[in-house]
Amino acid sequence: MKATGQHPLPRQRADVAAPEPGERPPVFAVRGLWKVFGPRAERVPRNPALAALPAAELTARTGCTAAVRDVSFEVRPGECFVVMGLSGSGKSTLVRCLTRLIEPTAGAVAMDGEDVLAMDKERLRELRRHRAAMVFQHFGLLPHRTVRDNIAYGLQIQGLSRAERRARAEEMAAKVGLTGLEHRRPAQLSGGQQQRVGIARALAVDPEVMLFDEPFSALDPLIRRDMQDEVLRLRREEGRTMVFITHDLSEALRVGDRIALMRDGGIVQIGTPEEIVGRPADDYVRDFVRDVPRDQVITVRSAMRPVGPGDADRDGCAELPPETVVADAIAAVARTGRPARVTDRGGRCLGVVDHERLLSVVAGLDTPELEGTAT
Amino acid sequence: MTGTTKPSLAARVPATAAGPDGPAAPAGGGGVAAKSAGAARALGGRVYLVVAAALFALAGAVLAGDAAWPGSWTWDAETPLDELNRWLILNRDSHPLFLYFLLHLSNNVNSAVDTALAVLQGLGWPGVTVAATLGAWAAAGGGTRPRALTTAGTALAAFAAIGLLGMWPHAMLTLALMVVAVTLSAVLGLLLGLAAGLSDRAGRALRPVFDTMQVLPAFAYLLPFVLLFGIGTAPALFATVIYAAPPMARLTALGLREADPAALECARSLGAGPWQRLLTARLPLARPRMLLGLNQTIMMALSMVVIASIIGAGGLGDQVFDGLRTQDIGKALTAGIAIVLIAIWLDRTTAAAGERLEHPGAGTGRAAAALPLAVTVAATVAAWLLGRVALGLGAWPDGWTFSIADPVNDTVDWMVVNLGSGVPLVGGTLTWAENFTLWVLNPLRDGLTAIPWWALLPLAGVLGFLAGRLRSALTAMGALAAIGVLGLWDKSLNTLSQVLGALLLTLLIGFAAGIAAARRPLLEKLLRPVLDVLQTMPQFIYLIPVVALFGVGRIAAITAAVVYALPAVVRITTQGVRQVDATVLEASRSLGATPWQQLRQVQLPLARAQLLLAVNQGVVLVLAVVVVGGLVGGGALGFDTVYGLQRGDLGVGLPAGAAIVCLGLLLDRITQPGRDAAPGPGTGRGDRAGRSRP
Repeated sequence: MKATGQHPLPRQRADVAAPEPGERPPVFAVRGLWKVFGPRAERVPRNPALAALPAAELTARTGCTAAVRDVSFEVRPGECFVVMGLSGSGKSTLVRCLTRLIEPTAGAVAMDGEDVLAMDKERLRELRRHRAAMVFQHFGLLPHRTVRDNIAYGLQIQGLSRAERRARAEEMAAKVGLTGLEHRRPAQLSGGQQQRVGIARALAVDPEVMLFDEPFSALDPLIRRDMQDEVLRLRREEGRTMVFITHDLSEALRVGDRIALMRDGGIVQIGTPEEIVGRPADDYVRDFVRDVPRDQVITVRSAMRPVGPGDADRDGCAELPPETVVADAIAAVARTGRPARVTDRGGRCLGVVDHERLLSVVAGLDTPELEGTAT
Repeated sequence: MTGTTKPSLAARVPATAAGPDGPAAPAGGGGVAAKSAGAARALGGRVYLVVAAALFALAGAVLAGDAAWPGSWTWDAETPLDELNRWLILNRDSHPLFLYFLLHLSNNVNSAVDTALAVLQGLGWPGVTVAATLGAWAAAGGGTRPRALTTAGTALAAFAAIGLLGMWPHAMLTLALMVVAVTLSAVLGLLLGLAAGLSDRAGRALRPVFDTMQVLPAFAYLLPFVLLFGIGTAPALFATVIYAAPPMARLTALGLREADPAALECARSLGAGPWQRLLTARLPLARPRMLLGLNQTIMMALSMVVIASIIGAGGLGDQVFDGLRTQDIGKALTAGIAIVLIAIWLDRTTAAAGERLEHPGAGTGRAAAALPLAVTVAATVAAWLLGRVALGLGAWPDGWTFSIADPVNDTVDWMVVNLGSGVPLVGGTLTWAENFTLWVLNPLRDGLTAIPWWALLPLAGVLGFLAGRLRSALTAMGALAAIGVLGLWDKSLNTLSQVLGALLLTLLIGFAAGIAAARRPLLEKLLRPVLDVLQTMPQFIYLIPVVALFGVGRIAAITAAVVYALPAVVRITTQGVRQVDATVLEASRSLGATPWQQLRQVQLPLARAQLLLAVNQGVVLVLAVVVVGGLVGGGALGFDTVYGLQRGDLGVGLPAGAAIVCLGLLLDRITQPGRDAAPGPGTGRGDRAGRSRP
């Protein structure tokens, strides 16, 4: 049961994430965003009757396809915001709307409180050059350039001198573990190495936010895992804000602080991995997360019950911080043979988990009750 | 334009992809196509349509008899053309259009060629040889890698052989013409390609122009320029430039359009402006394609420079032409060999450079590429100083040559006597020629002329409609009607019968060889170098050996056409059969299909589109050479054109040239392989359809 390293293990998530909102404006604030492809696309979001149509009917009626429909969310500074959905759910279009690589049809996008849609060409170019850098699924490397010159490409576009950008590129190559390969061409690298170049190219411009568009979907599972580790490491070291697009649930749970789940262009649910797995918003999400090992995602904070009269005896009880995942709590309870106490840093007892509560999490019976007890 | 050299095939393939819409299912190939009932019904309908049109034509031929295009419906083009010609001759030195524009053009071109020739002569033979050899070496990447050494060796051998054959001065003139022609074509092609690649509107406007230029035989390009400039170097060069520019333009546009979208999007996402995107991403990504385009442009320019000797370009082509005219096969062959050597040198050099771009190695930075170039320049200067300045070596020394003309002529005489006829059992080449003429060509020609015009016209329409819907049908019928109006009905049908006869042979041999090569890797391995060499040669060259074997006449022209068109047909067939989805083939094998069943039920049906493309290519290539065959007694339209070109009799030449153009359009439209035939311009698979590289 204890599957350390086998599946998403967002164990320390609680302390990394959640920089108090309100302190700084969100990196991205998206309100009512629409992207409709097709003839006279702008009428679709304007007309409530059209906007409410399901995808197939909309296409039949208007010839338009709504790739993104009425999406709102905020990306907080320092967090890794994952947009997840199956292919065709509109997530790649969504991320391109953030820097207007695809022009949104309607809605509002603000970056650090500044309206992106109102930016002129120059300002937008400035945004793309310095503030948001993207990593692509198919890498987008230039085959005729060496690794070093590929990494330096963004700096070249900014107009940096050759010596400056080469020095910076070498630095970035070292950071993503490409030392010694700087003079190779992309064709001579493995897929994982190519994407490292892509990441280094994005990092080289020192952006405020990094946008990942399914960066690891084209890679083998083992390499994908390495690359996810790489992203987690970079995030730990640099604390950069990230928007991460993926269709892979385990990847989303692994790298995401918060996840937005998309379906047919709209967002079905936004929440922490625990919220998504523990409290799916509808049957679609429930179906989606059914195979996730719940004990690896759900923490004792949501699994505990209030301290009852029978819990007075503390002897031999394990004390667990509230962010402990259920799998670890099971180990503690099994070891001591007694319910475990959930305590905060000050030693205050927040609640108790016993084997009944833990088993019901594993069995998936906890959901209805959780709605009542969770904070 | 592929009409002419095979290298241009590559550029052509994407073109056909975008050709008129609608699937193509000529009666013959249709039977294998579809399994579903609906498709089969549609197919049945098409077959009936063709059969009906054919029966109508047959009935017309039998009942109405010989009903050629009515004489009263023709338009006499000769008189106004002669008048125009007279006017041009009178005004060429005085009219403002000439004084301020056209004469400047021709003067500049003439002096450019003179300068290039003076430089080549000034370098002396050691300088030129060293420059060519080391240039090839540098293009292939330099150093001691095998590819660079073989490329350099090829260049060295080619120039030494040219010198030894006594062709040095002629070769230098051809090279000087090439330098100017290729430079102009490349620049023109690059500009057009940039326009077509970057602007959708320009792309849409230029595509049909390029498409049409590809099906026109080289001969057709010469006449208008002779009309404007008279006979000489300038018209030859302009015709060459116009003829050779499209592949460069087409492949540049293709390269710009198919650039990896991820890389372009990445450039945008990093905030690159339009110019930055073009210069740092789009153009560099298009570079391999552009180099392939340059390679094709060079090969086509060579082909045309040689042909243009008919209108006074001079150089090696002139020698071939002279030899053919005076039945001096030895002389023609000597010059022909020199042309082939130049072709191989140019092809291998540019191909090596292209390959290096496409598969960049680790150590091919800017510095690594600059070194071989520097070495080349330094060595050339050294050779010039040592050879020309110190030792006074100019043209290749006369003492170092030997003539192969006499032995070749002796051999030809011997062949005519001993192989021509009377060989026991097999007959002999002349006997074959007679029999083919008697049993295939004459019936074909007589059959075609026997069909009344009012029955032939709908037949062309039906075939065009099946190949490409209404637009193709109208083009085909319009082209045929134009031939009639020009008063060249009978001559055109004569040429058409030669084309059909040659096509028949080409397809029979080509499909058989192509399928065999697809099924036997060893055979393909053996064929590949042969096809490579054959595809490098200008069309003119093919006439030399066939005249030796078959004498002057239609058969010589047809044989040359077959040999010329075969490599492309074999290649496309092999490729088509080869690229059939391996899983489908495996599935059929797992069901226990015999090799024959696999071929008939899986490979051929799935390769149908490619086979149709092979037919289309075959037609266009065959027509180009059948027309050039006018030089060796092919008669009909080709003869009129040659006559008109040589005598400056444009009243005869231009209508014949126009009829050739019409014939080319007609044949191309009724054999359009349809939309599904060739890979779309985006897939980039087609560019090598005609060629393989080691």
